[in-house]
Amino acid sequence: MAILTCKELCKKYGSVQALDNVDLAVEPGRVVGLLGPNGSGKTTLIKLANGLLTPTSGEILIAGEKPGPETKRIVSYLPDRQYLPAWMSVKQMMEFFADFYDDFDRDKAAEMLARLGIKADMHIREMSKGTREKAQLIMVMSRSAQLYLLDEPIGGVDPATRDYILDTIIRNYNPEASVIISTHLISDVEQVLDDVIFINGGRVVLQSSVDEIREKHGMSVDSYFREVFKC
Amino acid sequence: MLSKLLKHEFRATGRVMLPVLGVLLFISVLFNLSVRFYSAGSSVLLNLLFALVVFAFVAGIIAAEIIALVLMITRFYRNLLGEEGYLMHTLPANVHELVWSKIIVSFVWFFVTNLLIILIGVGTALFLSGSNLAEIFADFPGWDEIRAALQEVGLAPRHFIGLGLEYLLLILIGGVAACLHFYAAMALGHTVANHKGLFSVLFFIGISMAFSILSTMVGASSVDALEKLFSNMSTAVQTVHSVQKLFAAVAGWELLQAALLYVATVLGLKKWLNLA
Repeated sequence: MAILTCKELCKKYGSVQALDNVDLAVEPGRVVGLLGPNGSGKTTLIKLANGLLTPTSGEILIAGEKPGPETKRIVSYLPDRQYLPAWMSVKQMMEFFADFYDDFDRDKAAEMLARLGIKADMHIREMSKGTREKAQLIMVMSRSAQLYLLDEPIGGVDPATRDYILDTIIRNYNPEASVIISTHLISDVEQVLDDVIFINGGRVVLQSSVDEIREKHGMSVDSYFREVFKC
Repeated sequence: MLSKLLKHEFRATGRVMLPVLGVLLFISVLFNLSVRFYSAGSSVLLNLLFALVVFAFVAGIIAAEIIALVLMITRFYRNLLGEEGYLMHTLPANVHELVWSKIIVSFVWFFVTNLLIILIGVGTALFLSGSNLAEIFADFPGWDEIRAALQEVGLAPRHFIGLGLEYLLLILIGGVAACLHFYAAMALGHTVANHKGLFSVLFFIGISMAFSILSTMVGASSVDALEKLFSNMSTAVQTVHSVQKLFAAVAGWELLQAALLYVATVLGLKKWLNLA
């Protein structure tokens, strides 16, 4: 069974059509790039999968269920912003995740944080922007989830941090799970992707494996993306 | 899941409220000592210091109430409608648990703050009157005397226990409805795309006006019922029963308001959630 399914999914903000009849299915065990220019509907799709938005019509299913408390148990989500409470210490943050998520591996998180020199008594507000982003990612990737939804995980960070983030994702995700990485920085993520979904103007333009694109079009995903989305 | 949410909500709010209540307690002790050792006209400096302590005492009480109110509003706004909402709304908890965790914790802090203020007030009044609790209880008639006096007018302790419980219920429902008034306004105000804060204020005013009009209409249509209720108060038992019925009617009306506000809050967070 697909871990993420969208059937004729539509989302409107007032008169703006953010998603238009999206049909797609993501199978378990795949690393998928949700690729599209800014404002194409990537974040809306991820928010719908997390139950942060309600579809205008159609449906979105996680492991066959509508987003709710049960699907949130198996989805590990990294939003495109800093969302951890600034007053929390690292220790409190780990306790929070361990309390709410049965699949949170506290030792793994502590080890990864220690490797970055982040101490348990350090508060989120004391961290630099880059360190905060790394800490958030560590929390998300320390879960043994069935679906990881990572919204712009490498947006707005320096190349070294970008490498660290991608490395952390690849080294730590549950191999039986799927990872959906939303980004427009394709050349950076291309190496880790199995499949891609091109989205533009709220519509899915293409869903394909990376190998298929390379074989069929004789070019990298980044080059093909530039061709498809040429202004 | 609610118990886990409560644990973390108490932790988040306790780091603000515990120091506030600690400072309030410290100021009240300072006030008590000042009253104890102050004698009017001793010196200008002492008079000034005493005035400052009295001011700090009054300001402390007002500040504690205001901080509890502001905390109730900001916690809901930041934690469920701000960036932290991305964390809270993706926890394996439902919206009802999220809302109830906020209501319960806010209510507890209001209750504790007001209880502390009442205790400080009683303690200060006892000291200023020169009496102590032992003296007051010594002058207090015994239970047998109270029971006998009540029986003379046909009343039993259960009448007062019932009245007290109804009053507590009224406070409980009123407190929950007051929290939900703010929560519903914010939840609905944040469903719009822009100017979410402004719309929250407008929703608050709109809800207040709507409930005022409805309360006036209900009150006006209940004049006859109220007259009938209080027309027969020739005995103490009838008076107690009339007051109990009035309490029940007010509690019912507040419960209805709280239910409407709760539905609006849940819909705002579940169906129309629109995080920035």
